[in-house]
Amino acid sequence: MNQPSPQSQIPKPTRTELLQDVRHIVAVASGKGGVGKSTATANLAVALANTGAKVGVLDADIYGPSMSLMFGVIKAPEINEAKKLVPVTVRGIKVVSMAMFDEGEKPVVWRGPMVSQMIQNFVFNVVWGELDYLLIDMPPGTGDVQLTLTQNAPLSGAVILTTPQEVSALDAKKGLKMFQKVNVPVLGIVENMSYFICDECAKKHYIFRQGGGRRISESLGVPFLGEIPLEPEVAEGGDAGTPIVERRPNSPAAQAYTAVAAAMVSALKILSAEQAGLLGEFSLKWEEIPEA
Amino acid sequence: MIAPIGFQRKNDRELIVVWSDRKRSSFEVRELRLNCPCAVCVNEWTGKKMLRSDDVPENVRPLRIFSVGRYAMGIEWSDGHSTGIYGYDYMRRLEAASLPRAGS
Repeated sequence: MNQPSPQSQIPKPTRTELLQDVRHIVAVASGKGGVGKSTATANLAVALANTGAKVGVLDADIYGPSMSLMFGVIKAPEINEAKKLVPVTVRGIKVVSMAMFDEGEKPVVWRGPMVSQMIQNFVFNVVWGELDYLLIDMPPGTGDVQLTLTQNAPLSGAVILTTPQEVSALDAKKGLKMFQKVNVPVLGIVENMSYFICDECAKKHYIFRQGGGRRISESLGVPFLGEIPLEPEVAEGGDAGTPIVERRPNSPAAQAYTAVAAAMVSALKILSAEQAGLLGEFSLKWEEIPEA
Repeated sequence: MIAPIGFQRKNDRELIVVWSDRKRSSFEVRELRLNCPCAVCVNEWTGKKMLRSDDVPENVRPLRIFSVGRYAMGIEWSDGHSTGIYGYDYMRRLEAASLPRAGS
């Protein structure tokens, strides 16, 4: 009756050794592209690091990686003796991005299986070490990369980024439903480009209409984590390789990011308490399961 | 979010899942194998079941169960199969569907 199959020889990993010291893995996602996900990921990372937390960033946007630019990284990660990737540390934040393997401006033109393989390498073959938060900058949409990550990376939760326009809200809802489908808790919605502060009158101008992000969060019953204003310096910070939270910590956008990071941390705390009894990740030999 | 909080087994015949809402579901293991939702066992486009009962040994049993993300589990079977991803919602539906003839 005992007929071990070839598969039984291969241990099925749960949280791999390389990830075991990572406390929370959080996906930063959006349905739509161009809502400022990479900028937000970089700034949230800095805001979290400012609280004393150990932070890593994985740029999972295989086709349009930008995290190197955001952090001003020009070197490639090293490969250690164990053939694992060592993240590049930028001002205390560990970063891995497809862009680090870029050959100049050549685009990555890959089909799904290659992308899934690369994503698995990024998650499981990187020496992340001890981290409080690993933020994953997701590519836009609900495709291969998202599915691979939700199936393989033990995500603690997802933050959904949107902009006030209806088209972005619609896509954000889709993204949110995808995470719900795979049981990844949505920590909350962040609305980017919410308003513009004019330097003449210091008044908030809601140029793309007001309250879109808050409305989705209410209609779908997930927390609203905050509004990020549109500030030219946010983009300047990104292009210069220094996120605005670091470059201009007192600016309205930097303060908004800091508040969002704090809201995200408290959402994670509530979730951890709620999920205390769940098995989460497991890999049990049949014999290890207790007899009823 | 419904997810397992514990597992038990009865000999090699039954897997019992205790869920986060405190419900207990009991699965006859061969039934689980026969209801494998993977693309080899069920046609992806038509939903037609490709696996026949004769294809699965009477004494099939799990060798290992493991989590897939947060929403599903996988099972390595003694017949060498292991590609099925058993979504927790799928398992709950499966259990509800087979309820009338449960009660072993």
